[in-house]
Amino acid sequence: MRKAWVTLACASILAIGVVSCSGGEPEAPPEQSGDGTDTIELAEFPDRPYWGDTHLHTDNSVDAFGFGTRLGPEAALRFARGETVTATTGAETQLSRPLDFLVIADHSDALGATRRLYDAPRWYVNWVMGDETVLRWYDMMHESPEQSTKAIGELISAAAEDRIPEAMAADAEASEEATKDIWNTQLSILDRYNEPGVFTALAGYEWTAMPNGNNLHRVVMYRDGSDKTRQTVPFPGLQTTPPQLWEYMKSYEEKTGGRVLAIPHNPNLSNGLMFQMTMEDGSPMTPEYAALRAWAEPVIEATQIKGDSETHPYLSPNDEMAGFGVQGWDFGNLSLSEMTEPSMYAGSYARSALLRGLTLEEQMGVNPYAFGMIGSTDSHTSLATGDEDNFWGKHTGNEQSYEDRAIVPQNLGTREGRFGWHYLAGGYAAAWARGNTRAEIFDAFARREVYATTGPRMSVRIFGGFGFTASDWDEDWVRKGYTSGVPMGGELDDQGDAPSFLISAMKDPDGANLDRVQVIKGWLDASGAMQEQVYDVVWSDMDTRRRSGGKVPSVGDTVNRDDASYTNDIGAAELRTTWTDPDYVQGHRAFYYLRVLEIPTPRWTLYDAVRFGVTLSDDAMADAVAQERAYTSPIWLKPNS
Amino acid sequence: MKLPNWTREPLVHFMALGAVLYVALTWGGTQPDPASRVISVGSAEEEKIAESWTLTMGRSPTDAELDLAVDAYVREEVLYREALRLGFDESDAIVRRRMVSKMDMSASLAAETAEPSEEVLRAFLEDNPELYAGEASANARVSFDQAVFSSEMSARAAMARAQVKGDATGLPRNVSTTPMRDIEAQFGQQFAAGMRGLEPEDEWQGPLASGFGWHLVRLTARNVPEPDFETLRVSIVNDWRSAEIKARKERAYETLRSAYRIDIDR
Repeated sequence: MRKAWVTLACASILAIGVVSCSGGEPEAPPEQSGDGTDTIELAEFPDRPYWGDTHLHTDNSVDAFGFGTRLGPEAALRFARGETVTATTGAETQLSRPLDFLVIADHSDALGATRRLYDAPRWYVNWVMGDETVLRWYDMMHESPEQSTKAIGELISAAAEDRIPEAMAADAEASEEATKDIWNTQLSILDRYNEPGVFTALAGYEWTAMPNGNNLHRVVMYRDGSDKTRQTVPFPGLQTTPPQLWEYMKSYEEKTGGRVLAIPHNPNLSNGLMFQMTMEDGSPMTPEYAALRAWAEPVIEATQIKGDSETHPYLSPNDEMAGFGVQGWDFGNLSLSEMTEPSMYAGSYARSALLRGLTLEEQMGVNPYAFGMIGSTDSHTSLATGDEDNFWGKHTGNEQSYEDRAIVPQNLGTREGRFGWHYLAGGYAAAWARGNTRAEIFDAFARREVYATTGPRMSVRIFGGFGFTASDWDEDWVRKGYTSGVPMGGELDDQGDAPSFLISAMKDPDGANLDRVQVIKGWLDASGAMQEQVYDVVWSDMDTRRRSGGKVPSVGDTVNRDDASYTNDIGAAELRTTWTDPDYVQGHRAFYYLRVLEIPTPRWTLYDAVRFGVTLSDDAMADAVAQERAYTSPIWLKPNS
Repeated sequence: MKLPNWTREPLVHFMALGAVLYVALTWGGTQPDPASRVISVGSAEEEKIAESWTLTMGRSPTDAELDLAVDAYVREEVLYREALRLGFDESDAIVRRRMVSKMDMSASLAAETAEPSEEVLRAFLEDNPELYAGEASANARVSFDQAVFSSEMSARAAMARAQVKGDATGLPRNVSTTPMRDIEAQFGQQFAAGMRGLEPEDEWQGPLASGFGWHLVRLTARNVPEPDFETLRVSIVNDWRSAEIKARKERAYETLRSAYRIDIDR
């Protein structure tokens, strides 16, 4: 009798689910569901950096779900807006400061694959046929997932390596329907939380192509409201190629009149495949391919939880600040199915790719790698946490309740060699925009007026032009920068004079002081060879920290290893300078970007060690303090043709 | 006619609906045999595959592309059926979790699509004013002049002078009708907290500490918006829905759980 009653109750739940499935999501008002044009008053020039994460996974991602995340898009949005959310592992958590925008980037393949399990007809069949499934199903409700520990372990690494069990694969049609269903639901939720002037929720997903474990992933991000984004569905990553993705993007724009872009991430785990000198199949790059790529991918994600991709010490041996977030990630591809040879590095890091872009442009007239840079988290917890002192882990299996997460081997995409402490806390994207709307944030990305940070919110400006002087700071220099020069992401035509730059960096107002600002210049010399140079252009206490042997002395280190604290007794709150390229040669193709360094601060591993009483290994301890940083998008100097 | 009270119980509606569904499904004719080893791809299936391709790419597939899509469909179907045969669905932790999560979702779906009445929302606002106090404070618009000094002492000394002139800085000297959320982003949380403690007046006030130093501030105006139902409507709907979903999941779980005897050995 009791059994019958329960059966009935469950059928009732089903009934409600089925009936209301057809109802659809409630509609948000038009100012929230559109692209935000004409909803708020815009500044004349971009007046502040807006902070966001363009790479957050929720329980709609099959791997995130496999790792245990139970928080969905709604919780992710609430958290990013600054509200308190209960993490999957139980504790309440909140960002110390809200973000301004968010792209929920769930794996497009996963969207379809996981929904297969929701395939009601098959499921109903099993149940109605009266086999043991119903009983098992009830049992499941009350057992803890931890019971099948072994299965979970295998499944986690399977998910990370995109070897999703075939049992989860969907038949094409159901998968398509399911993907569309989740996508449309997601778009409605985004609209409900998208509030022009306060918080921007952009539509997007992750395209997760990974031939042989080499990471070619992109985040796809839309400018438009749901009237347009409903006309498409996420493009699958399995068995498709980047040019097919770009074709899909072109079709979307032609069909809807909307705008979309793609953001490659983790080139550091691509074994040189992300930024090749050739096309994917090894044939010489064509101008058409280069132009399509440049159009589709104006920005890359240069830093995130799975390491930093600015440059590698092997590629930049004279750059003493190279190598941040490289350790643990540079010996193999994402799944460690293939080890990395040093010859692969040039295709795996941003700076070398920017240089390759100059060479390809010289050969073809088009630069496929003229990209700006952002940071993001790639968090799989629905929690967009980028701060070292509030790190919630790569996925739910290493949230804060797993106190030894810093020192244990991680099974994510690896079987050996990668430890918890190799993971970074994740970065954020800063967008210089005239206001906080979908259109304004997207357009900042499209014109590359964006920059990457490894988490802190320092405010960084660079304007390039000809004839900027120190006295420009006395007037409205931002106006001057915009009206007589170009901001980050812009291009200058070589006019026979050395370019000059207005450079300003203000510390994160709630964070650490700044050590220095560097200009990274890359160029092709007279023989066509790729060259790079790091210039220290302004630093704290310049009158006492004088250059010796061509080097600026270290800023020092105030971090107390015993209690994970630091002081702002060293460094500067603000650094600015006017800088003219001392090594300019007319006709050389070049780019210039800024790297801004903070004073040393504790990494999340040191906070963990202190909070949880965990003893870090010597290797981990040596890496427990770091100089967090920002990378701006470059300004390019082009020969006058 | 007055119906007895039990007919108004949601649980009764719930069970009645379930009973109807149970009967309908039980008598719903023959079910397809999941163990079938025939995979038919006729023109109907092909059309569906082509349709989904078109939906993704925004154009129809070529013959070659369609062939590839059909191959992929067949491959998935074969492997999926074999996986079922091998019982992969039964020992799979992700499958378990998905099903549990599906149960939760089934319980809360009605709340996700419900359009609450204005009465309900106004009551929610009244019951939870604390949810919207922060919003109003972040939206408060302020106008002020400020000057920053490297030490508290120099800030205090400057206050005595007729002309307050701070250090050279990239921070704006004058701020006009700007939301506090922007002030907090630019000047930091410490400064914003200090600002909230000031009342508008003609005189210089402070100094307020921030990550940049010590600020003297002349706060000329602050306009805090009243918590207005209409402007808050969307937030209230979001918050109401979150709360409702949570409550419904809990109720559904409690209903199911009450049918179990749980023995926990300690």
